[in-house]
Amino acid sequence: MNSYRQNQRVVLALTLCGLLMGPLLGFAQEQAAGSDRKRPYPEKVPLNAKAEPLRIAFVSYANPQTVVKDSQAVVQYLNPFAGVPIQSFVTLDYGSSIEAMRGGKADLAFVDPLAFMMAHEQIGALPLLLEVYGYGKPAYHSCIWVRRDSGINTLADLRGKTIAFADQIDMSGHLLPREVFVQTGLLSSKRVDGEFFKQVYFAGGDEQAMRSVANRFVEAAGVSQYADQLLRLEERDQVKAIATSIESPSHLVMARKGLDKAVAERVKRALLALEISDSNDKLILSKLYGVQGFAEAKLSDFAEVAKIAARYGFVKKPELFAAREP
Amino acid sequence: MKPYLLRSLTLTRLRRAVCLSAILGSTFAPMLTHAHIIPPEKLHPVAEAYRRANFVLNLNPVKWDQIRSDGLAVANYWRGVDHFAADKLAKEIEAVISKAALAPNEAAGLSPMPRQEAASRVLGLLTKAVVPILRAHLHEAERRIGERAAALDLVHQAQGAYGAFEDVILASDPDAAHRLGQCWLKLAGSMGTPGLLGVGEVQPDRTTFRREAEEILQYLGANYGEDFSIPSGRKLAPWPMKSPTFNAKASLPIKLPPGSNVNKQIPRPRQILNMTARGVDESETALIALGDMAFDSAYIYGEPMRSLGMSCNTCHNKSITNPNLFIPGLSVRPGGMDVSNGYFAPHANNGHFDPLDTPDLRGIRFTAPYGRNGRFASLREFVRNVIVNEFNGPEPDPMLVDGMIAYMNEFDFLTNPALNKDGSLNPNASASARRGEKIFHRPFRQMNGMSCATCHIPSANFLDHRRHDIGSVTGYEASSRDRALDTPTLLSAKYTPPYFHDGSLPTLRAVNEWFDKTYKLALSSGELDDLTAYVETVADGVEAYEHTPYYLDAEMEEFSFFLSAFEFLDEKNKPELMNATFQTVALEIRNHKWELQDPAARPVLDQLVGIMDEAYAASQSGDRASVRKKVEAYRALYQANVERLK
Repeated sequence: MNSYRQNQRVVLALTLCGLLMGPLLGFAQEQAAGSDRKRPYPEKVPLNAKAEPLRIAFVSYANPQTVVKDSQAVVQYLNPFAGVPIQSFVTLDYGSSIEAMRGGKADLAFVDPLAFMMAHEQIGALPLLLEVYGYGKPAYHSCIWVRRDSGINTLADLRGKTIAFADQIDMSGHLLPREVFVQTGLLSSKRVDGEFFKQVYFAGGDEQAMRSVANRFVEAAGVSQYADQLLRLEERDQVKAIATSIESPSHLVMARKGLDKAVAERVKRALLALEISDSNDKLILSKLYGVQGFAEAKLSDFAEVAKIAARYGFVKKPELFAAREP
Repeated sequence: MKPYLLRSLTLTRLRRAVCLSAILGSTFAPMLTHAHIIPPEKLHPVAEAYRRANFVLNLNPVKWDQIRSDGLAVANYWRGVDHFAADKLAKEIEAVISKAALAPNEAAGLSPMPRQEAASRVLGLLTKAVVPILRAHLHEAERRIGERAAALDLVHQAQGAYGAFEDVILASDPDAAHRLGQCWLKLAGSMGTPGLLGVGEVQPDRTTFRREAEEILQYLGANYGEDFSIPSGRKLAPWPMKSPTFNAKASLPIKLPPGSNVNKQIPRPRQILNMTARGVDESETALIALGDMAFDSAYIYGEPMRSLGMSCNTCHNKSITNPNLFIPGLSVRPGGMDVSNGYFAPHANNGHFDPLDTPDLRGIRFTAPYGRNGRFASLREFVRNVIVNEFNGPEPDPMLVDGMIAYMNEFDFLTNPALNKDGSLNPNASASARRGEKIFHRPFRQMNGMSCATCHIPSANFLDHRRHDIGSVTGYEASSRDRALDTPTLLSAKYTPPYFHDGSLPTLRAVNEWFDKTYKLALSSGELDDLTAYVETVADGVEAYEHTPYYLDAEMEEFSFFLSAFEFLDEKNKPELMNATFQTVALEIRNHKWELQDPAARPVLDQLVGIMDEAYAASQSGDRASVRKKVEAYRALYQANVERLK
């Protein structure tokens, strides 16, 4: 897994933890004694040991061994609900998960929106659940960050200046923020370098890009809305966002085309039932990349970002995502 | 090329993954909690060890075991690159440490290597080790540039190691820092990308990579190569003195070393203020409000406390001992540090390493004398010494000290339903505790006929207000008289481990075992159980911790309380105290703003900070009318947004 993607996950999880879980943890402690669940668990179903196992691909953003352990806890939670044996394995990047699904070796996989859209287009993968981050939203956006003392207040102020993105292949760390400039007519979608900016860098990660702004190595960074959380506290006040991108659906669980609908539905219900305010559920969610919960995903959630991905050649048929549900 | 194929887990990838896991762990751990939590800076292992060693080497005395540990950390990392060089480094550092730590022996003609010379040598050895590590990573990255993930990881490792020097270069050679920063960006960009599922592939640009890497290495080699040294009289740091753009007058940012923890404790301890418990209207207790502000203020101190944003509250969270507090080189274990080391107040350094366990301040109005060795008869003397001599502050305004005393006099012990008014146990206590109470009162021949209760007098809040040498302090020689310590109370002590002046005993049972062993009391196991049950019962209290979720509104309310002293200070014409109040409120909001649940309300906090900054500026210029308007503006804005500021 490339560091920038790990970084992205760190950024998302940081925000989730820092802004939400803190207060919620205390709240959860209060609720643990006995509260009414808002979302009931689905019915448990008897295991059909002879059925085809459900194979879930977890992606490792950090220590693969930790993810292996975490995935086992998730499997244990899902077991009573799935009705079929569950197997899990860990991949090191989204490409590997998609290739596993293409080869029939994975039924469910945790991916980012860009990888999902490509997987949908290439192998018919379907969105099952979106991860929920800060403020209960299964979405995030990107920002154009500058130093507060830079005198830069608008995108136009960045003409002839330098900018750092996280990586070429990164929805929140390149495509979304780059599109901000395209939409305002400051950049064409054809090229990013040598047109509007004096110099464009791909820093190798959200943190590297943000730190380059904080340290004045570049004038701007186009990365995730949460990237300021990667800075030290005293540095965070030194940066500000001057523009935001459209929202992208969050990272998601995608399903293999042809996966037994009943099995997929049962797993979906089981994951949807998880509530961060419940101490037991919170433990499971912490094994699921520390998300706050899950929300149902639809193809049409990706309609807008698919157009952006198409503009840069990652998606060929954005119309596949336009208000069409399987 | 088929991108994103399933790949085997190489050693490098595993190392990176482990490193990231550590980052995640260390970053998440505090972020999962709350209340002005400062996440630790994420540093490469080499940069972390180097920076910590650099900090400790500037202390007097130097804690050499910490230096040994950090030296080994650098050597161990280097071993993966060049084990011969790593072994040599470890040996050379050890040789210097053993000379520096040598006990002087005039008869044998032995004297330790002077501290500054030894510190300078060790920093030189460590500095010269960083560049080869960085060079090896960059060369390996270039060799493997076609393997994008591996090469990028190596660049990140190299950049991480560069973090050992980056702060100093940024501060003292900003032009070079800027140039090198862009080199790192170009390096990362020159590695291309394999794309995703066949899309977006960008070939690596080896020429650019090599050029940028060479520029970085050239700078580092020139400044931190074999002839690196630090002129005497200059603070020990990796100064890039060979750079033509080096600014010799630059000062370094004030930071605690990696591994420090000055975060408040979680769960939050429950503070009992007597006035609050009695239902007093806080809006009319101006002196206490001033004291509360001062207790939370870095501005009553001098540097480095101000720049670090540390206050009384850092070590005594709302009066209660902060068990997390740890500063490498100053602490032996969490919950204490050496406050007579020259770091915080060079003028008051006593020159020897004597870290103390941070005392709990509950019930402090009953616990005179003050200081672990009871060297101050009054709280006033003690507070003044903390401000001026422990933490380098200016001579405090008498009203400020009055305020602090007024506030601290409100600190109460936890209530304890197992105790009668005279300190004896009542039937709420367990049978074991009641048996222990008898042991507590039993005179022991081995203690000159005294009992535990002789010093910890139950009817006097378990104190005798005297100092005793119980044998817990090592004196400078066998017959020295420098071992006496003030008797500590047992009330509320259950929640403030560890115990003894140096925090050397982890539990109350360990304390009982220490007395049993030291004085050969021959207590049976059952008696120790009962005595521990008794002490734990006495030391217990109701609701030691807050059980409500933490939200920022409680902090915001407290900042308003600080400001409630404004009219009083205005009337008494105390601009300096007003200034401290404005600065403190502004700093506190800045520190807490990231805890706000709704980031959309963050601009309100920025506005409140701005108003406090303006009030400070107006006060500085003597414009009292503007100051009053700013205070009113703050109150109005706060009241208008009070529901959002959580």
